[in-house]
Amino acid sequence: MKRRTILGSALGLPAAWAAPAPAQTAPPPAETAVKLEFASPETAAAGVRRFFDETEFAALERLGRLLVPPGEGLPGAAEAEAAMFLDFLIGQSPAERQTLYREGLRALREAARRQWRKEFAAVNDEEAAPLLAPLRQPWTRSAPRDPLARFLLAAKDDFWQAVANSRALAQALSSRRRGASGLGLYWHAVE
Amino acid sequence: METHEVLIIGSGATGGMAAYTLTRLGVKCLMLDAGPPVDLERDRSLRPVYDLPYRGFGQPDRFPHVTQATEFNANVWADEKQNPYTYDAGVPYYWVRIRRIGGKTLMWGRASWRLSDYEFKCRDHDGFGDNWPISYQDLAPYYDRVEPLFRVAGRNEGWPQMPDGNILADDSRDSESVRRFIASAKRLGVPATKPRRATGTLASSVNLLLPDALASGNLRIVPNAIVREITVDRATGLANGAHFVDRRSRRDFHVRAKAVVLGASCLESTRILLNSGIANSSGVLGHYLFDQFYVKNVVQCVVPEARGGKGGRGLMGGGGYIPRFRNLAKREKDFLRGYAYDFGSGHTPHPRYVPLYGEALRKEMQELEGSGFAMTTMGEVLPRRENHVRINPNVRDAWGIPVLHITQRYTENEFRMARDSMEMAEELCRGAGFEILGKHAEPVPPGESIHELGTCRMGADSKTSVLNRYNQSHDVKNLFVVDGSAFVSGGVQNPTLTMLALTMRACEYLVEQKKRGEL
Repeated sequence: MKRRTILGSALGLPAAWAAPAPAQTAPPPAETAVKLEFASPETAAAGVRRFFDETEFAALERLGRLLVPPGEGLPGAAEAEAAMFLDFLIGQSPAERQTLYREGLRALREAARRQWRKEFAAVNDEEAAPLLAPLRQPWTRSAPRDPLARFLLAAKDDFWQAVANSRALAQALSSRRRGASGLGLYWHAVE
Repeated sequence: METHEVLIIGSGATGGMAAYTLTRLGVKCLMLDAGPPVDLERDRSLRPVYDLPYRGFGQPDRFPHVTQATEFNANVWADEKQNPYTYDAGVPYYWVRIRRIGGKTLMWGRASWRLSDYEFKCRDHDGFGDNWPISYQDLAPYYDRVEPLFRVAGRNEGWPQMPDGNILADDSRDSESVRRFIASAKRLGVPATKPRRATGTLASSVNLLLPDALASGNLRIVPNAIVREITVDRATGLANGAHFVDRRSRRDFHVRAKAVVLGASCLESTRILLNSGIANSSGVLGHYLFDQFYVKNVVQCVVPEARGGKGGRGLMGGGGYIPRFRNLAKREKDFLRGYAYDFGSGHTPHPRYVPLYGEALRKEMQELEGSGFAMTTMGEVLPRRENHVRINPNVRDAWGIPVLHITQRYTENEFRMARDSMEMAEELCRGAGFEILGKHAEPVPPGESIHELGTCRMGADSKTSVLNRYNQSHDVKNLFVVDGSAFVSGGVQNPTLTMLALTMRACEYLVEQKKRGEL
């Protein structure tokens, strides 16, 4: 028995671990600076919901699918995981914005139950249309008084930007045109 | 410890120009700046927006008063928690600062317009406020020399409210949408011209002013030096140096100097003077704060022919400028003074202007891509004594230095002007055949234009002003304040070019006075 196999058996490793290692390349000189590549957490793991509760989040996800659906080979809010991103963003935001979202989602769910006797998360596109009527009003600089309308306008902007700035959209667009990855000049922090 | 010939506080537009001017005249200078050095190769890199922690939204609440901050450039702006300030409840002031070598010239828009005697002699023209102690002719030779340094490009039109400059001629062809807009303006008797700005994407103190000054061997720069106060020799009444705190170690230092040039930015300079308890025998220091109000995207339009991806380079792109045209020949409106516009063609309007969602919005946004035409108003704000800054002794910054309390309110004059600018903008765009997607007349909060001015004003009378006609303190003869705080009125023109010209003039006067033994 070869020494590596014996060691593997002694350590209780499966046979694969005990297989001969591929030939090693010579390591670089120890003083050489090597640039390593790293993965961002979004490419390796799923975000965890922290701010909205389950029913709020279900309504938010449904709203995202309505506001920015996929189309023409481009991702929508679901593919860009925009709702999960907004759970993170709103959870970090000042109380006023958190209230806008919480109260807005509550009003949206109440409106769905009142009109359709179901949760907003379960309404179809046609049933959602009257609930989203404020989004068909002409733009005005001053925010509407109705909290639901205010929330819907904010959510429209946020979902649109969360998708526009997503990795999913950049990947979809990269095959179509140059400069689609949203590159910008980033200023690093100073000491 | 050595006594420096001139201590320059600040490294932005005016600090940089002071160093450039003085060192070329052989004056040994020491420059202090509150921020760290900038290494444009090391400190910046290209990154995709999706790779940023907040997907380009920015860290929530990091900059409640800096609407210009993006997640890309957030690290450039002064941190509001380390550098706090206060204002009256319900009257927010947006104080936008950069604490790095080069100051706000690292980020400025580079628009470079001269003031005219409509500003320098504003009281003579309409009876409001005060004249400057100088006229356009006093400053014109300095404008002539500053513009080539910054390679200002634009078009001379010979209009009295927009004096011609010593500039590179911009003879580029306008796009059809811009030509249509200019024709509409002409029909309404409104002047329109090319933008006038420093060329190059940076055009900053760090690449146009400080390198020459350093190369002269007459300048040393100490970064991370937060000036607490300017010190004065009580026997002579002259400034003799400054106390500063090292930003990183918080260690206190004192530097000695024979003269001080203060260019720390409008409100920082006044804060330093107020904390020093000097240069205020008039009681005017801190008063007459003003700026220029902006109505961003006062109209947002679509050029109909550019819909559906038809907005090629011939039709769309480019932009221009409309100088002040109200109340010039006579009082014609229910407000004093006037406003200017920037306009631009070829962007994609923001989806918020489109009253749709879902698939319909996506299709409409594809239709609108590159078809946008928008205007922004820049209005003159009247200098009023009641708009002021003072030291708030109850709040200190991260280095223990008392902060400013800022009070500025816009008045009915500014609001009337904003409404008039909205109506005129709509008329101009409709006349060009553009569709109006949205319009409004809501100015940004005071300060947001980053054109804060006044609080250390020049004047002929030492009882009603802080500085004389050479930016020299009436009270402390070897102290010169050269930034926007010296302004008496501001007009609608972006102020940096005038600050640069004033600084060059003041520094040459300083050297002349030294030669004569007056300092």
